[in-house]
Amino acid sequence: MDLAEKLEILADSAKYDVACTSSGVDRPGRHGALGCCAAPGICHAFTPDGRCVSLLKVLYSNACSYDCSYCVNRRTNDRPRATFTPRELAELTIGFYRRNYIEGLFLSSAVLGSPDTTMERMIEALRILREEYRFNGYIHAKTIPGADPQLVRRIGLLADRLSVNIELPSESSLSLLAPDKKKQAILKPMGQIAVQSAQSKRELAVYRNAPAFAPAGQSTQMIIGATPETDRHIMALTEGLYKKYTLKRVFYSAYLPVVGDSRLPALSTPPPLLREHRLYQADWLLRYYHFSAGELLTEEEPNFDPYLDPKCTWAVRHPAFFPVEVNAAPLETLLRVPGIGPKSALRIVTARRANRLGLAELKRMGVVVKRAQYFITCGGSAAARGNRQEIASALLDPRAFAVGMHQLSLDDFVAKPLPCAAPALQKLAAGGVEARTAAQAVRQEALGCLTQRM
Amino acid sequence: MSYPAHVTDAAYRYDGSFKGFLCCVFESYANREIPSAVLPPDQGQLTLFGVKEIATDPARAQRVARGLDRLGGDAKDCVTTGFLSQQQEKDLILLRFVRRCFAYGPGATQMLGDPDVAAAFEVQRSVNNEAGKLIEFLRFEQRGTMLGAVIHPKNRVLPLLRAHFCSRLPDEDFLIFDATHGVAMLRQNRAVQYLPMERYEPEPDAAELDWQTLWKRFFKALTIEERRNAKCQMNHVQKRFWQDMCEMQPDFARAKGAGV
Repeated sequence: MDLAEKLEILADSAKYDVACTSSGVDRPGRHGALGCCAAPGICHAFTPDGRCVSLLKVLYSNACSYDCSYCVNRRTNDRPRATFTPRELAELTIGFYRRNYIEGLFLSSAVLGSPDTTMERMIEALRILREEYRFNGYIHAKTIPGADPQLVRRIGLLADRLSVNIELPSESSLSLLAPDKKKQAILKPMGQIAVQSAQSKRELAVYRNAPAFAPAGQSTQMIIGATPETDRHIMALTEGLYKKYTLKRVFYSAYLPVVGDSRLPALSTPPPLLREHRLYQADWLLRYYHFSAGELLTEEEPNFDPYLDPKCTWAVRHPAFFPVEVNAAPLETLLRVPGIGPKSALRIVTARRANRLGLAELKRMGVVVKRAQYFITCGGSAAARGNRQEIASALLDPRAFAVGMHQLSLDDFVAKPLPCAAPALQKLAAGGVEARTAAQAVRQEALGCLTQRM
Repeated sequence: MSYPAHVTDAAYRYDGSFKGFLCCVFESYANREIPSAVLPPDQGQLTLFGVKEIATDPARAQRVARGLDRLGGDAKDCVTTGFLSQQQEKDLILLRFVRRCFAYGPGATQMLGDPDVAAAFEVQRSVNNEAGKLIEFLRFEQRGTMLGAVIHPKNRVLPLLRAHFCSRLPDEDFLIFDATHGVAMLRQNRAVQYLPMERYEPEPDAAELDWQTLWKRFFKALTIEERRNAKCQMNHVQKRFWQDMCEMQPDFARAKGAGV
């Protein structure tokens, strides 16, 4: 098997891993080594599915000895298998990195025999890359659940970011679909990484040359839509992970049925992309907007509204919080206004020291006022007036009603709902209604509901 | 101290250099006027009123540059970065911004609601955004003995790419060719120089094409067909960058006028 074929097989096996960021660590280049890292992360390409390629995302091997039913690489699945050698992997990384194709390496692996042997081989590959090839770029490594803590320690000293996949949002789902993985085996390395990373940070503050353990922190990912957990459950879990294990990111991946199994959604189920999007929006609210999971969803409404983003939903439920005075409100309050993000909020706080801000100034600064104008006052007077229907219309998320050409084949010019559109619209269109008519009908209904609620 | 000025109908024309631009600022203070336009030599604009030729005088430029230094990093960054823009009228926008800064002091950079300041920041942002995109999407090829890349930016972004790539490839020689403006940034023996250039020779060799094929196969393997979303892809990588990205070329078209 030649290298290109191997790369293709192992990239294909790794593509369902979502965590592909190169963020979290700032490390300038130095002579005698290749590469540097930038804290915001750098994306180098975007695949036709719109996801970014930042790292050389491959498995070390896809010859797995486990049998998790949601996974393409499970033992009982018939597909081509391949395993890299450490040299091949290093050559590839360096070759791609020099050409500015990638920011570094994302190394995961199927379980080759036992977790410990797998980890040892991954560590060897990373060691060669760091020490012999003097690679100074970004490395993200997956730790294999159940591996020895000593091995986790060693891989953490080579990689910038570590991650342990939590796979499914609850223990019962895990034991149902991934019988070889145990909750404890997942959470234990997570705890270890959190403790050692924090310790290394403290040491680095005192000794400049102390060894850095996973300086870019750790992340995790879980599959959404394969099992019946509610969004509320997932958000609570996410918040817990951020607080308890100081994770940098939690990733969600909409479940794509790759195997027919009676315990899983049918093969024809489309991936719940809109739900995934809402979860990411809520995740951002937790990390950058000072929201807590309990505020976003309630027991009566355990799932996110497909037609409204989570922040708008919160705003509609809390009319007493508004309007907010842009010339006086603190940053945290500004961040709660629909349409104002961290960048806009910071600009507002900076600019209002010099001038009083009106709607014209806000627009000039680049603040998007489509939604925000109904929730703010500028110098005491309302920025805009609208009846309930106008406001509701501004708040609805156009993504949920997106219709367009979907060019999978060259002769297909019929407009269809886009993959991220609301499930109701997808269903209506699948039933034979023309896409634009269907989108309009669904939007009318959503608008009616929202107007009533306000 | 305030320097009152009136808006005149005359336009300034200068030699297109940064020093020349600083002399325009000087002239504007000397005559207590704000010109109706500031034109680099290649911008032939018909005006009803006179065009004033501004000679470049290093001593005057130096005085304005020292003034800019006193205003602090933000203001200076905005002017120097904005000056790389190829947007029409950027010269006038920056001149008004500089005047605003001299009038209000370093705090002027925080007056984001002010029309002059907002316009200047918009210019700066668009240049920085393009440079950021190119840091992501530029593709090196092994050409001869060094790495080479061809880009087609709207603005003269080469100076903004310099720090990043020198840090990323600390021991390599490389060349980035800005085909739109006919300038190349050459880094050789740890020194950087900017050279005028028309054509990029030599071509990448067969081994290089193998690397590109490898990268393309990887890129294709990563795509999840069920999630295909061309619009989302285009939002992130605007089409004007595609011509220089090897994975965006159809498979047969490597023979594209590779020289450029």
